[in-house]
Amino acid sequence: MTTQEKIFVANRGEIAMRIIEACDRLGFDTVLGVSSADTTSLPARRAGRTVVLGGPRAAESYLNVKAVMHAAIETGCTAIHPGYGFLSERADFAQLCVEQRMIFIGPRAEQLAALGDKLNARELAKTLGVPVSPGGPTRSAAEAQSLAREIGFPVLVKAAHGGGGRGMKLVFEEKDLAAAWNLASSEAAASFGDGTVFIERFVEAAKHVEVQVLGDERGNRIHLGERECSLQFRYQKILEEAPCAALSPEVRERLHNYAVRIADALDYLSLGTVEFLYDVARDEVFFLEVNPRVQVEHPVTEAVTGVDLVRSQILVAFGEELELRQGDVAADGHAIEARLTAQDPSNGLRPSPGLLTRWRPPTSGGVRWDTHMFEHYMFPPYYDALMAKIIAHGPDRPSAMARLRLALDRLQIAGPPTTRPLLRRLLDEPELVDNTVTTRWLENELAWKTKQ
Amino acid sequence: VDIDLDELIALVELLKDAEFSEFKYEKGDLQIVIRRGGRSYDQEPLLERTEKRKPLGGLRKGTVEQKDWASEPVRTQSRAVAVEVPEGAVLVTSPLLGTFYTRPKPGETPFVSVGSQVEADTVLCIIEVMKLMNSVVAGIRGVVAAVHANEGGLVEHGQLLFSITPLPE
Repeated sequence: MTTQEKIFVANRGEIAMRIIEACDRLGFDTVLGVSSADTTSLPARRAGRTVVLGGPRAAESYLNVKAVMHAAIETGCTAIHPGYGFLSERADFAQLCVEQRMIFIGPRAEQLAALGDKLNARELAKTLGVPVSPGGPTRSAAEAQSLAREIGFPVLVKAAHGGGGRGMKLVFEEKDLAAAWNLASSEAAASFGDGTVFIERFVEAAKHVEVQVLGDERGNRIHLGERECSLQFRYQKILEEAPCAALSPEVRERLHNYAVRIADALDYLSLGTVEFLYDVARDEVFFLEVNPRVQVEHPVTEAVTGVDLVRSQILVAFGEELELRQGDVAADGHAIEARLTAQDPSNGLRPSPGLLTRWRPPTSGGVRWDTHMFEHYMFPPYYDALMAKIIAHGPDRPSAMARLRLALDRLQIAGPPTTRPLLRRLLDEPELVDNTVTTRWLENELAWKTKQ
Repeated sequence: VDIDLDELIALVELLKDAEFSEFKYEKGDLQIVIRRGGRSYDQEPLLERTEKRKPLGGLRKGTVEQKDWASEPVRTQSRAVAVEVPEGAVLVTSPLLGTFYTRPKPGETPFVSVGSQVEADTVLCIIEVMKLMNSVVAGIRGVVAAVHANEGGLVEHGQLLFSITPLPE
């Protein structure tokens, strides 16, 4: 590797900060592409250079493939880091990077394409002997009927292609299935041009468990243990931790093996996360999907393994061999991350952009803040609501939780409403302390509390 | 201190659509500073960093503080450079990020140069992004007073390209 690499950071917010920091430590130059709404952001000040890609709307700037590529080439960059979201999972963008001789810091284009099609990824898992949730695609209501009988009610009925929860129906009884199927099928045909409907077993009490994998160009692949992200609100993760305390050693090892099996089959390059559902009642795990990028919650894995994931991701993209072998990876203690967002918990978690008039994170042991906040920052209304990730690490789960509580308590913050009060309250909930939370717990809990 | 309100309004009007974070106007012992956005905590006051400039004969007495996007890499802090905008001029900024070309093809005569008279639909330059050519028009009848970008250089979204002194319709 030549010593003077220059990385184009095609993202914003805390992850842009994280990438710039990793580059700074590697001695790599950085160029940050921003929208015209982000020119005074903290990453814009940290980057070696900042260029304005386009207007505030993401389509004009962060998702503007042509502007990103042009800016990266013209500023003399050798690689592009897409972060998460935006262009990170776009196979066409990764392919364009190949054509422009630009290093895409992520998996290969064909891997992104293979994983982007969820049905395809599911089929791959099946052929590798990795269990998938009972269910499958159906082309008629009658076909759906017999499949549902086989897997048992309740079932989820959803469009086979596309996603985002659109057209998803929960069916408890057989008599309601035909109507739900027909509706989902016509919605799917209208939205995605394909009326195939997916029938899946609905798991009442499920934990979301995911395994971090990392691979280099020479075929070295390792996993870095698992994370649990069960505390969610409308499929948005709120708290994440590593390791998952609910798994038996036997199930944990099985999960890790499944994840590596999938990564091996794809000859996977870069960072990736293999997601599973853990059915608590049945003590079974099912493959969900692979996220081919750095995850928001990567710091909890970094905390317990001591591995700098973003640094490793950059180095393997440049063709470097992984320094780590599986035997070098061990989990030390427990880490929990809370996502502080500009959302109003007293108002249905409505987004609350605005001027941050006070921001004083405390200094305390075992706590890491990944954030782009600063006092008098004008939180813009155009992008996601994430303000900060607060990662607490301790020798065990209770001590990590105690550190997180303290960090939230001592944060001085004023301005728009944030989720701080909600996060703080959650950390005292018995279900959270006992770690019995499943993916729909918070929604049910909030719905119940609102009714009271 | 005697402030001409009309002059101040004209100034603010002119700056309304310009890309800037701080504007300083000096006339005798009169000094006006206009800031946009919050004051950043780690930025020294711009006034102390910008050297005193003499009033410019013939040109507008003010200066627009603009971040020098297209020049050398800047670490941590944006460097302020002075872009001299002739009095009453309308600013034409880049509608997109790309490479700035003043000519239809290399070797041909430029679309316009300082002193050229332009109509609203006159093409001033081309911005190329990934082999796609986008022309930028004047948007106003007038005379080109200044060209602010460098031929073949990267220009960013919102970067100042031309100043045009309007002519009566």
